[in-house]
Amino acid sequence: MWNNNKSLFLSRVLTIAAAGVAVFVAFFIPTIADWYQYMMTVEAAGILDRETMFIPMCISLYVCDALALAALWNLHVLLGNISRDEVFIPKNTSCLRRISWICMAAGVVCIIFGLWSSIFAFVGMVAIMFGLIMRVLKNVFEKAVEIKSENDFTI
Amino acid sequence: MPIIVNLDVMMAKRKMSSQELAERVGITTANLSILKTGKAKAVRFSTLEKICEELECQPGDILEFRRE
Repeated sequence: MWNNNKSLFLSRVLTIAAAGVAVFVAFFIPTIADWYQYMMTVEAAGILDRETMFIPMCISLYVCDALALAALWNLHVLLGNISRDEVFIPKNTSCLRRISWICMAAGVVCIIFGLWSSIFAFVGMVAIMFGLIMRVLKNVFEKAVEIKSENDFTI
Repeated sequence: MPIIVNLDVMMAKRKMSSQELAERVGITTANLSILKTGKAKAVRFSTLEKICEELECQPGDILEFRRE
């Protein structure tokens, strides 16, 4: 029977698997950049010349990969706390705040790379939007921590 | 907080220990300690009622407002 514990376990497994994929991808970033440089369609091109995109793409992908690993680590910490029934604690709020900033940073990196490939600018905007949603979620968590503390100290 | 809890004063007057009061009121000694030290953010009317009943006093004997 499906229950909360199994759902939490699945989330933790998926987080670890995603981290594994992120590490694996890191080894192939130059290959991916090389492939994308010549396979990119005209419609996906940006305002800068595709011949100069290899190094910016490598840098963008390495930065985004590192940011993804940092976000996944924070998710892992968050899920660990939830599994110990420590949900509304200031540490989790910090995790959500960090994830939000990481998403926004990745969004900015993608938007800059959008100069070479416009499709990345769109991805960047989605990442910033996601970061904003995470920030609102963090604000909700912050309020919940406050309410819980008030409830705990009501005798 | 400008609300002062004078529970320990009343307990001393009635010569009642923390453990005894906690048992009679039906709260843990840890929660009673939170109340005594002024760390509590709120007191339920039901808890206040039981404390007043056990210490034979009025809520005003336990709680005091002091301007900061």
